[in-house]
Amino acid sequence: MTAQDLVQQSGLGERKWRRRSLWALLLLIPLTLAVDGYDSIKALLADNDLFARRVAWGQSVHFGGSDWKLTDLRGAFGMANLPPDSVPVLADFSVKVGDPDLQKLWLGCKVMLIDAAGRRWTPTSAVTLKASGDVQTCTSAIFSGARSGDTLNLRETFLVPKDVTKTIRPAVGLASERPHFLLFQLERD
Amino acid sequence: MMRKTANIVLLLVAVAFCYGLQMSKPHYGDLIGPIPARGKMGETIVGRNFEARAEKVAFARNLKVDRFGETKILTTGGVWAVVTVEFAARAQSTSVAVASWRGPTGLAYDQTERMSFADGLLPVAIDPGLPKKARLVFELRPDEASNATLLISEKLMSALDSQAEISLGPVATASDGLPASTVDTLDMSQPI
Repeated sequence: MTAQDLVQQSGLGERKWRRRSLWALLLLIPLTLAVDGYDSIKALLADNDLFARRVAWGQSVHFGGSDWKLTDLRGAFGMANLPPDSVPVLADFSVKVGDPDLQKLWLGCKVMLIDAAGRRWTPTSAVTLKASGDVQTCTSAIFSGARSGDTLNLRETFLVPKDVTKTIRPAVGLASERPHFLLFQLERD
Repeated sequence: MMRKTANIVLLLVAVAFCYGLQMSKPHYGDLIGPIPARGKMGETIVGRNFEARAEKVAFARNLKVDRFGETKILTTGGVWAVVTVEFAARAQSTSVAVASWRGPTGLAYDQTERMSFADGLLPVAIDPGLPKKARLVFELRPDEASNATLLISEKLMSALDSQAEISLGPVATASDGLPASTVDTLDMSQPI
């Protein structure tokens, strides 16, 4: 074997490895991005209500360890001292508690109204309507000490523009179920 | 010898280059700071989650506030500036909590904390499709009143989130140094 052959051979080997390294980048760059972005993506999914699970009217759905059912959605028309063209909306749920560890499973409970354009309304403090004694909000129910098998009556009050009352649908998100959330359909859907 | 000199020159060039890079790069605070949405008085400024429109600015020597049914007059060694702003939420309900007044010399004044119970102050909860007015109240030096900028954001740490920056324009000054439109007492119990 002459010195020239050796030089040629090592040149071939180098070229081969250079090519392999370039191909490896195709895999390594996406992999680096994935490892680097893992925590951010996890946080994004855990903090946002992104994927709707549609629930037909009258149906009860297991969510966050309990069975959720929308019982009523109605407007409280004719109230005074409200912004023009706005109407309070009441959403009532009946929830049969399965797993009673609500402080863990219902953490970050968020009830919303979502309209056809995807706009979201969260409960208001501008309107207070009297309710019977056993009606709670989602957050107060977390600390109610409810046991397995109990049925909780939840009510949330919203303030929405009058023109969206036809298209709004109630939705519920819980930290333990995010990024999925429940989107309740109405009787007329 | 030649090689040594070349190395030293190279080192100096590298130091100068690194120094240049350090001086010219944006500050870390700017990179992750609020994202400005700029506009003028009367314009609707659209941020990520909220819209804001400054309607008017009023200046006063004293403010009259009702606190627990008792009327109080708040005096100042400077001047009170009361900005009426209309807010609206965009895609989801939110609240706007932070505002400051940046004067022409760069001095920034946070909202006053002297009237915590008055109606219509921040934080204001806003819902999509339901615009709401609020009053932003600042206590400032009279020479900071003209050509000021109003900075509004949803929360204190608005890193990488919208901050409305509203130019309030020039304000004529009277002979006493206060803005010419300054009233003696502004009644804050009046509806907005």
